[in-house]
Amino acid sequence: MQKIPLNNAKPGMVLARDIFRGDSPIGIPVCGKGTELTEPLIARFANMDITTLYVAGHPVWEEGGQSIDDFMRELDNRFSKTLQEPLNVMLHNIYKTHLIKSMGGESDRKSE
Amino acid sequence: MTENRNDLKKIIMDTKTLPTLPSVIYKLNSLSENDKSSIQEMARIVSSDQVISARVLRLANSPSYGFYRVSTISNAMILLGVNVVKSLALSSSIFAIMEKDIVGLWEHSLAVGAAANIIARKLGLPECEEIATAGLLHDIGKVIISIKCNNAEKDILQLVRDRQIYTMEAEREIIDTDHAEVGGWLSKCWFLPDKLSEPIAFHHDVAESKNHRIKTAVVHIADILISASGFSDSGERFVPPMQKIAWETLKLNEQLLADIIDEVEDKLIEVKNFSLEIMGN
Repeated sequence: MQKIPLNNAKPGMVLARDIFRGDSPIGIPVCGKGTELTEPLIARFANMDITTLYVAGHPVWEEGGQSIDDFMRELDNRFSKTLQEPLNVMLHNIYKTHLIKSMGGESDRKSE
Repeated sequence: MTENRNDLKKIIMDTKTLPTLPSVIYKLNSLSENDKSSIQEMARIVSSDQVISARVLRLANSPSYGFYRVSTISNAMILLGVNVVKSLALSSSIFAIMEKDIVGLWEHSLAVGAAANIIARKLGLPECEEIATAGLLHDIGKVIISIKCNNAEKDILQLVRDRQIYTMEAEREIIDTDHAEVGGWLSKCWFLPDKLSEPIAFHHDVAESKNHRIKTAVVHIADILISASGFSDSGERFVPPMQKIAWETLKLNEQLLADIIDEVEDKLIEVKNFSLEIMGN
């Protein structure tokens, strides 16, 4: 699952979470998860001021297509000064797990 | 170096040379010190300046606070509290100076505000909005250094790059002080309440914070989470060490932190969008 801004939404993507009016969980539900996006649907969301949505997999890759390895390397680099601190080691591990989870593994990546 | 430091302090403490703050802020300050003034009165003062009102509302609607649809100044006053609106008016005026030039720092500040808010809520702390404001303002010293000592700022950035050190270390070497201390002076100058000035002054040294250690600890951790996630370029290349005292003050544990990080990472996409929208205008 990936959270993307609406202007990155493309037809064919599949919603991973329900969409609510006003981008707020207390708003009126507008569209259910599992729906495949289409151009008119995206235009409608834009009219409703919906700015973000959750889609299945990890379809949007920014900045020249960084792979999970690139992100991992950057993460290691940021932590390179503080890996002797036990709290930072734990933090590093949490971020690593999060990164792997949010990327859904490399297999989701579509070759363009 | 000491000369430099004294000079800098003088420059910062001299309100006349500070970036000019709109008179509305001073009126608001004096009104809020008066017990007899009403929220309506204060809202009227802020609303009389449409640029400031727009900025305050924009920040009040930012992901740092997470109140969507705050559409009037008096709503913002009631929802966020007078003190928060006061510091919002102040910080939005400062941020207006930086947002075009120092985009990275602006995004970093927004993100730390949002993260501080999430941590405070998760831990059930009181005054979440003030904590978010403290997060939003924590690097205000960097803005002042950048405005006041443009040359020194370049040297600092160069030093950080060349020697791969923390911004703090470079700042101490070049201007013999650091952005946290400068932020502390500044908040005294602006008569910000202790609950904002302590987190600003001690977000890199939680033990020094005596009266508002919990708030300071939240801002400290929020700052570290945002550096760790690599969100935006605030000039800091490495994750600072998380202080044990902050961890213990907030009674955090690994599971709790992992939950917080999940939520923060979700929020960061919103922060990025918000900032893109603002920059696009």
